[in-house]
Amino acid sequence: MTTLSELEAPQRTPVSDAAPDQVVLAVRGVHIHDHVSDREIVHGISFELTPGKAVGIVGESGSGKTLTCRAALGILPEHFAVSGGSIDIVGHDIAELSPAQWTELRGSTISAVFQDPASYLNPSIRVGAQIAEVIRVKTGATRRQARHRALELLAAVQLRNPALVYAQFTYELSGGMLQRVLIAAAIAADPTVVIADEATTALDVTVQAEILDLLADLQERTGLALLVVSHDLAVVAQLCDEVLVMREGQVVEQGTTAEVLHHPQHEYTRMLIAEHEQYGLERYLHSELSAEVGLNRAG
Amino acid sequence: MVRRVFALRTGKLAVGILVFIAMLAILGPILAPHDPLGSTATTLAGPSGKHWLGTDYLGRDVFSRLLAGSRASVVGSVEVALVALVVGVIPGLLSVYLGRVFEWVSLRLADTLIALPFLVFAVAVTALLGNGITQAMFVVGVLVSPLFFRVSRAATLSVARSQYVELALISGASVGWIVRRHAWVKVLPAIAVALAQTMGVGFIIVSSLTFLGIGVQPPAPTWGGLLASDLNYLHFQPYAPVAPAVVIMATVWGCNLLADAIRDVSGENGRALVNSRKARSNRLAAQPLLVESSR
Amino acid sequence: MVTTAAYAPSFVSSRRAITVIRARRAVGRTLITIARSIAIFVPVFLLATFVTFTLRAVSGLSPARIQLGEEATPAAVHRIESTWGLNRPFLAQYWTWFDNVLHGNLGRSWSSGVPVSQLIGDGLTVSLSVVTLSLVIGVVFGFGFGTLAALRRTTWIDRSITAVLTVFSVMPPFVVGIVLVEVFAVGLRWFPSGGFVPFGAGAAPWLSHLLLPALALSFDTVAIVARQLRAGLIGAYQENYVTGALVRGLGPRRIFFRHVLRNGAGPALTVLGLQFPALIGGSVVTEWIFGLQGFGRFANDAAQAGDVPSVQGVLVVSIVLVVTFNLIVNVVLGKVTPAAQRGV
Repeated sequence: MTTLSELEAPQRTPVSDAAPDQVVLAVRGVHIHDHVSDREIVHGISFELTPGKAVGIVGESGSGKTLTCRAALGILPEHFAVSGGSIDIVGHDIAELSPAQWTELRGSTISAVFQDPASYLNPSIRVGAQIAEVIRVKTGATRRQARHRALELLAAVQLRNPALVYAQFTYELSGGMLQRVLIAAAIAADPTVVIADEATTALDVTVQAEILDLLADLQERTGLALLVVSHDLAVVAQLCDEVLVMREGQVVEQGTTAEVLHHPQHEYTRMLIAEHEQYGLERYLHSELSAEVGLNRAG
Repeated sequence: MVRRVFALRTGKLAVGILVFIAMLAILGPILAPHDPLGSTATTLAGPSGKHWLGTDYLGRDVFSRLLAGSRASVVGSVEVALVALVVGVIPGLLSVYLGRVFEWVSLRLADTLIALPFLVFAVAVTALLGNGITQAMFVVGVLVSPLFFRVSRAATLSVARSQYVELALISGASVGWIVRRHAWVKVLPAIAVALAQTMGVGFIIVSSLTFLGIGVQPPAPTWGGLLASDLNYLHFQPYAPVAPAVVIMATVWGCNLLADAIRDVSGENGRALVNSRKARSNRLAAQPLLVESSR
Repeated sequence: MVTTAAYAPSFVSSRRAITVIRARRAVGRTLITIARSIAIFVPVFLLATFVTFTLRAVSGLSPARIQLGEEATPAAVHRIESTWGLNRPFLAQYWTWFDNVLHGNLGRSWSSGVPVSQLIGDGLTVSLSVVTLSLVIGVVFGFGFGTLAALRRTTWIDRSITAVLTVFSVMPPFVVGIVLVEVFAVGLRWFPSGGFVPFGAGAAPWLSHLLLPALALSFDTVAIVARQLRAGLIGAYQENYVTGALVRGLGPRRIFFRHVLRNGAGPALTVLGLQFPALIGGSVVTEWIFGLQGFGRFANDAAQAGDVPSVQGVLVVSIVLVVTFNLIVNVVLGKVTPAAQRGV
């Protein structure tokens, strides 16, 4: 953890391009339409992200939470479109962004990590080189500087042997390690907003807890704004200040984490909480873990 | 699936071409206006009312030779496809289920056949084993069979390794039942595509062999043979190769189109095609509504 | 900066570690690719040579017929067959022949008595020049067309390229050959209609004699490579790693060249490997059209003359060529898409 803060402190200047109270991601009444089935999938969702804040979206699969993320990143699947409302990234309405402006914005202002991290990295290029590539493109660093910085990032996401991981391919790494690599790639160009879409879902519980710690730590140290999407209330509760509960494209509950957890208004939210109480909401979070578990498995 | 192929414009066109060529093969020799072997004094004549495509260097009617030659080429390519189908598909299906030894042997055999340049091999075998288009095509059929082997094996593997088949196995279904119930559905379109492709390949090989004069006795007309004899008289009849070249290309095109049409309507591609059409029509239908509501 | 400096020594050593790890792995992977290809090659070679050798026994051809004609006395036939060692047991003959093949000795031609390896060697220079040039044409135009069609998907550019490729793919080499002779040799008189000039006689005449046959051979390759590349690129564009690269803020050009092309080119390279036997086969026809005394022409002539040792030599050499080319393709594939080459 100390490595991270020491590392990030001199280089990051999050406040300069986004004041602490400035809204870095604003989603206002967004509707998303599917042109294949000719149905509306998301019926209006609104929230705001400021630096250092974390917003979580909870819901079952098909509730529209992933589509909302993708809309904010400008990567909606074919035949899907935002049909109402607006999305602003650091004051830019995304509907008016040109492809070149999108390229400019992604990576350096908004970035994302996803479920199934292996598939989001190029299988034919060493993972370290992919991180270095982002640094070179986004910051104009030299080859040598980029490699150095990539190694630092791999160390910052608590990978045990950065030099070894740097030279490996995706198929040589475990899921937890890949998710760390993906996070390193996502924060390589110092974005203001990071979207974590089911980033811990496919990982087993021990690794999941480590990744959540890592995200929380990053957020705390660097003033990152986080949008966390998960079907798991526990994940969102651990990281987020504000929670949205979605069901069938509708936001059924929205409020601070404490409010939603302790005074749920909607029946669906109550059911989610009840399930967690029944199976033990905090069961995994208190277990003592060592970082070796994930590493040994991969080696 | 057949109905869906016909629903595509390319599917209709492909079937149309192939039916036309098949009719040529069946009726061609009867329809020929002149004796395809009968030479006359008017050599290398241009097209006329009497000789629609002119005459060749021996004064034989080119149109009649074209019609009469269709049968050898078509029968040859069908034979190639059928031989390849039988020789390739059965071991392809079995290689997934019959254990490691059979799998290894059949894979090596397929590798071997692929490594043989089949035209060279066909030339060698046909010339050495005596002239006969049937033997030649049998050999070619065996040589191109790895395509069927690979296609049917890949499709069967994808089925066999899939979880719903595992489930069926666990719940006590027999291998035979699984092949019939699950494998065929996936394997059949793939095989149909390969069959159409192989017909095209077979057609090119038959034409190449007959072009070289291998597999048929000289006076007998073939499409490849027509082209070969034209080559020597290009200075006198520069248009002569057009007709046989066009029929050869049209046939191969028909086969390729059919393969593409089957591929387009089956599996994932089929769904993507249907989706994009539906989305387009939905969007078009939605457009006027949007305009109205905005006013 | 102070903190960064504190890390420097460990990263310097780790950079060296990366280089070492990377080099060791690259060599290892290439060796594994070669070993795997050889493991496949050995049974293929044994089987193919055996089939080739049985050709003589099955065909019933004999050098006596070629040398003495049809009316030879049985005694004379017997004498000639025994000088060729044809009266020995079949497997013993195969073993001797196979042993010779391994030592580069392909026997002597029945019709001329000249060593087959020498005859093939003469023709191979011509054929390999043609085949290599047609491969270059096929790769350059195939990649060009395929890439353009994939990037301009569903536009008129894509449709017209697809249309041209369709025409290319249905034109057998002999049809292309005739068209080329007709237009460029007989009609426009730009190029000679046949023959071969060694490279020593000057690059321009050498190339002008090679260009038409190489073009005739290349049409099929262009069509196949372009189609596979188009499909491969379109497929690669739908992969998650493209989304990943997009989200990391990489530009479209970089995403194409570094990420999509690399993974999407795999299938195109694979079919290029499979295309090589077809090129060698096609050379039989094109060399016939363009009057080239090459490998394919030699194969055709030997087969039609019933010269079994020559035919066997031709087959052995073509198998070796095919396998060597596939080995090269596999090594390249292993470098370009390491993940896709693991087992599967």
